[in-house]
Amino acid sequence: MKEFLVFLPITIVYLALKSTILVNLPLPDLPLIIIFYMAYRRPTIEGALMGFVLGYLDDAFNGGIIGTSSFALVLIFLAMHLLAKKVQFSTPAFRAGGVAVVALIKGALTYSVLRFANVGVYFFTHVILMSLVTGILAPGIITLFQRLFSLFGPESFKGKAN
Amino acid sequence: MRSQRNVVSFLKKNQIIIASLVLALFSLHLALTGRQEVERGFVLREILSRTVSPMQRLMLGIQDSVKGVWSGYINLVDVQERNEELKKALTLVTEDNLRLKEEINLNARLKSILEYKDQLPHKSKAAVIIGFNKEPWARTVTIDKGSADGIAKDLAVISPLGVVGRVIDVSTHTSTVLLGSDLRSNIDVIVQRSRIKGVAEGNGTDGFLLKYIRQVDDVQLGDLVLTSGLSGVFPKGVAVGEVVKIEKGRDNFFKSIEVRPSVNIQRVEEVLVVTETGLYAEE
Repeated sequence: MKEFLVFLPITIVYLALKSTILVNLPLPDLPLIIIFYMAYRRPTIEGALMGFVLGYLDDAFNGGIIGTSSFALVLIFLAMHLLAKKVQFSTPAFRAGGVAVVALIKGALTYSVLRFANVGVYFFTHVILMSLVTGILAPGIITLFQRLFSLFGPESFKGKAN
Repeated sequence: MRSQRNVVSFLKKNQIIIASLVLALFSLHLALTGRQEVERGFVLREILSRTVSPMQRLMLGIQDSVKGVWSGYINLVDVQERNEELKKALTLVTEDNLRLKEEINLNARLKSILEYKDQLPHKSKAAVIIGFNKEPWARTVTIDKGSADGIAKDLAVISPLGVVGRVIDVSTHTSTVLLGSDLRSNIDVIVQRSRIKGVAEGNGTDGFLLKYIRQVDDVQLGDLVLTSGLSGVFPKGVAVGEVVKIEKGRDNFFKSIEVRPSVNIQRVEEVLVVTETGLYAEE
C-alpha cells in the first residue's frame, strides 16, 4: 500500500507533465520502470494491480486506447515476477539492459494490440526510441526509488538486496 | 475436503500469476472493445476524465505562470539598452514632428500673406518680425528687412488681418516698426458702416482710442473701423479694429470710444511693408 501511495502521485504528475509541458521531449517510460522495480523487488498482487492502474493512467493521459498499456504492463509484471526467481538485476548495467528489453517488449505488446485493433502506429520511431531512453535512464531512476524508500525504514522491502 | 485444500493452496501459491492474467485479460478486453462499444469501461473513463483534465490544466497553468514570470521579470536582458535606444529614437521623432508642424504652420502663414500681397493694388515686401519691444513708453517690433531691401521711414506695415504699424527707424538690414497701439501712433480712420471719419490713437497697451467722434455722430458697438487713406501712410480700407466701448466724453462734445485691434500682435510673425505709398492714396 505504501508503494501505491508513493508511486501513484509520482506517476500522475509525470504523466501530466509528459502530456502537457514536456510533450515533445523523449522521456523515459516511468510506469514501466516502476513496474520493473516492483516486480523484482516486491512481487505481490498489489504490483499486478499497480501495473493495471499505471497502464490505465498512461493511456488516459496520453489519449491512447484504454487497456493497451495496462495489458502490456501487467504482462511485463508477470514476466518479471517469473524471471526474477532466476535472474538477479543487481547491477546498473543489468537493470538498464533489463528495462530496455522490457520496454521493447512493452512496445511490441502495445504495437500488437493496436494493430489488432486496427490503429496505425510507428513501431520504430516510437517504440525503439522510447525503449532506448527508458533503458538508459532506468538505473538512475531505480536508484532514486531505492533511496526514497530507504527513508521509510530498512524493512520497507522484503528483498533488501543490491 | 482434501481437494478443496489443494485448490486453495494452488490459488494462494499462484495468486500473482492468476491475478496478473485476469487483469491482463481485462485490459485486453478494454483495449479491443473500447473503440466499438463506448459504454464498456465508461465508469473508469468518466473517473479519469474528471481527474486527468484538471491535472493537465494545472500543469498548463503552471507553465503559463512560469513563462509569464520568465518573460516579464527574469529574461530582461538588453531591455535597458533597448529602452535607451527607443528613448533616443522617440526624442528624434518628437523633434522631427515639432519641426514638421512648425513648417506646416509657416507654410500656411506664408501662403496666406502671399495671397494677400497679390490682392493688394500696390507694391509691398514681406518681412518677418524678429524682435518685440513692449515697454510702457514704447511699443515697437523689429523686422528683418532694412534699407538694403528698399524699406524707408514712415512706410505702412500691415498683415492680412489689418494694420500693424509704421516704420520709424531703418538700418541696413532691419527696421523698427511703431505699433498702432503705441501712444505716439495716430491713424486716420473711417467707420465702415456710417463713413464717419476719426483718428485711431494707440492707448499704450493693446488697443486704440477712436478720437474726434462727435456726440451726434453715428457710431455703434461692433462697428468696423478701417484706414481712411488720408494720411498718406496707410492704404485705404485696411482693417484697424472693432468698436468695443462707447462713452460720453468728458468735454461733452466728443465721444470716448475704444477699439479692439484686428491684429493680435502676439500672434503675428510675418508682415508686409507697403513700399509704394503713392499708389493707394485716396482718390
